[in-house]
Amino acid sequence: MSIPPLPLRKHRLLIKIVTVCLILALALWTIWPWLPSGSKNRPQTIVIYGFSILEPVITKSIFPAFQKKWQAQTGYDVEIVASFAGSGTVTNQLIMGVPAELALLSTELDAERLIQAGTIKTETWKRLPHGGVINRTPFVILVRPGNPKKIHDFTDLTKPGIRIIHPDPLTSGGANWAIIAEYGAAVRRPGANPDAGRLMLLGIWRNVVAQAGSARAAKTQFDNGFGDALITYEQDGIWSRAHGSTHFEIVYPRSTILSEHTLVIIDHNITQAQRDLIQAFTDFLWSEEAQRLFVSHGFRSVDEKLNSANREFGHIEDPFYISDFGGWRQAKSSIIDETWKNGVLREIRP
Amino acid sequence: MEKRSAQGDKAMNHNTYQKKIPSMLPAGFLILVMMPLLLLPLASVFIYALQGGLQKFISHLVTKDALFALRFSLIIAFATACINTVLGTYAAYVLSKTRFPGREQLGIILNLPVAIPNVVVGTSLLLLWGPIGLFGQILEPFGIQPMFTAVGVLLAHIFVTFPYMLGTIKPVLDDMQTTYEEAAFTIGANRWQTFRYIVFPVLKGGLVTGALLTFAHSLGEFGATVMVSGNLRLRTQTAPLYIFSQFEAGNIEAANAVAAILAVVSFLLFSLIIYFTGRKYNWGHHR
Repeated sequence: MSIPPLPLRKHRLLIKIVTVCLILALALWTIWPWLPSGSKNRPQTIVIYGFSILEPVITKSIFPAFQKKWQAQTGYDVEIVASFAGSGTVTNQLIMGVPAELALLSTELDAERLIQAGTIKTETWKRLPHGGVINRTPFVILVRPGNPKKIHDFTDLTKPGIRIIHPDPLTSGGANWAIIAEYGAAVRRPGANPDAGRLMLLGIWRNVVAQAGSARAAKTQFDNGFGDALITYEQDGIWSRAHGSTHFEIVYPRSTILSEHTLVIIDHNITQAQRDLIQAFTDFLWSEEAQRLFVSHGFRSVDEKLNSANREFGHIEDPFYISDFGGWRQAKSSIIDETWKNGVLREIRP
Repeated sequence: MEKRSAQGDKAMNHNTYQKKIPSMLPAGFLILVMMPLLLLPLASVFIYALQGGLQKFISHLVTKDALFALRFSLIIAFATACINTVLGTYAAYVLSKTRFPGREQLGIILNLPVAIPNVVVGTSLLLLWGPIGLFGQILEPFGIQPMFTAVGVLLAHIFVTFPYMLGTIKPVLDDMQTTYEEAAFTIGANRWQTFRYIVFPVLKGGLVTGALLTFAHSLGEFGATVMVSGNLRLRTQTAPLYIFSQFEAGNIEAANAVAAILAVVSFLLFSLIIYFTGRKYNWGHHR
C-alpha cells in the first residue's frame, strides 16, 4: 500500500520542476495587472502629494466620495494616486519635480518655498476659497494615561525631567506650528514679559528627547512608548482615539494655535484635458460633503457651523491664528529663525 | 527483563546525547548571541504581522497598494538582475582578462556602491537626472523626466546593486586558467566561441548566484529608492517604501505583513543561492 520512495534522480527532477513552476507562477502573478486585457480603458488620474496626518481622511473618505461623485456626474472612473510624508519632505519632492497636480501642505510656509523654487509662479492658493485653507486643527499636548507627570499646559512641559517627543521643524510642518503654539501661548498670557516666548521655547526644547520627520512619525514613536509628552495636532489624537488607541490622553492648553492646511495647485503639471477634473476635485474639497468628512475625522472645518457635529473637539479658552503674528512669513523670520533656531537651539546645543 | 532493557536504551541515548552536546555548544552560543541582534527582531516582524490572526494578515496583504508594491518590487528586481547580469559579467571580464592602465582604480570605483550610503546614490542621481541636473536639463525640453518614475527607480537599483554581480563573477574568472582559452584559440575558436563554450560553462553557477544576490538586494533596497521614486502609491512605491510609509503612519500590522513576505522571499532566494554555490563547489571537487 505504501508508495515506494522515488529514486534520487527522479526526486531531484521533481524538485526542479516544482521550483520552475513556482517561479513561473510568481512571474505571471507579478505582471498580471499589466497584461493587455481587452476593453478596459485607462481611467483619468489625479496625482496628489499631502502631509502626513491627512493620509487616512484623504485615502479612506475623500477619495472614495469623490470617485463616486465623478462617476455619477460624468460616467467616467477616476483614479487618485497619492503620497504622504512630512510637509517639508513633500515640498522638497515637489521642488525636485515629482509629477504632482495637487499638493496639500501643512503650512503656507512650504507653499512660499514652492514659489521661491519656481515650481509655481505666484501665490495662486490665495485665490482659492478660504485663501486655500481646507481645514484646521488646534495644537494640543498628548500625555500618558492618567497624566502621571501632571501636564496641564505648555508651561508644565518646561519642568525638568519631562521627556518630550517633537516633530522635526526641518521636515515637518506640524513642528513649525508647534513652535508657534508654544511661543504664542507664552506671550499671550496676561502680564507676560517680552522674553516669555523665548524662555518657553528654551524650557521645552531642553526637554525634547526625540525628533521625528513628520507629526505622524512622532506620534508613532510616542505610541511605541517613548517619552512623556507629545505636541501635535488635535486631529491626530482624536483620530487615533477613535481607532482604539488608548496609550494617551489629550491635554488642551489654555491658549494654542489652530493650524491651517493649504491646498496648492501645481499648474505646470496639469494638462488641458485634466483641468475640469482638477477643478471639480478642488471644488469638492470645500463642499459641505467633504468638510463633513474632515470633521468626522477630527479636523475642524473652515465652516464653523459644521464643527458641532464632532463631540470630541475640546474647548480652547484662547485660540489664536498665524495671522495674529502677521502671517507665516513674518512668524518664520522672527519666531522660528531668530528666536528658536538662532537663539534657543544654539543655547541648548552650542 | 523489560525494565532493564528500557534502562539500557536510556543509557545509550544518554550516551549519544553526551557525545553530541559538546559539538552543539558553538552553535548554541551563536544562536544565543544572535538572539537579540537578529533573530528576535525578525521574529517580532512575524509576531506583529500575525497578531490579528491569519485572516487579518491576508487582508493586510491583499490591499491594492500592498499588492502593487510587491509586484513593482519584483519587476524592478528582475529587471535590475537581468541588466546587471550582463553589465556585471562584462565588467568582470574586462577587469579580469584585459590589461590596461588604471585597471585597479577602475575596479575600486566600480565596487564603491557597496561603501557609499545608498541615500547618497539617490541624491547624486537626482542631481544628475533631476530637473536641475546636467542630464535633466538636456532632457527637460523633450519632456523626458526619468526621476520619480520606474526608470529612476531602476537606475538607482542598477547603481546600488552593481558590485554584487561583479564580485561574484570576477573571482571565478581570476581563478580560471587562461590555458583553456588559449587552447580554444589554437584550434580556431573565435572570441565569442571561446566565451560560449569555455568561459560560460565555468561561470554558470556564479551567474545564477550573482543574479539572485542582485535580485535579493534590489528587492530590499530603500535608501536610494526613497530619494528617486517620489514614493507614489500605485505608481512608484516599492515594497520597502510601502513598509516605511505604513510604519510611519502607525499601521504597524500592514507594514509587517509585507515585511514578513519580503523576509520569506529573501529566505527562499538565499536558499537558492546556497543550493547553487554548493553545486559549484562540488564541481570544483570533481575537477
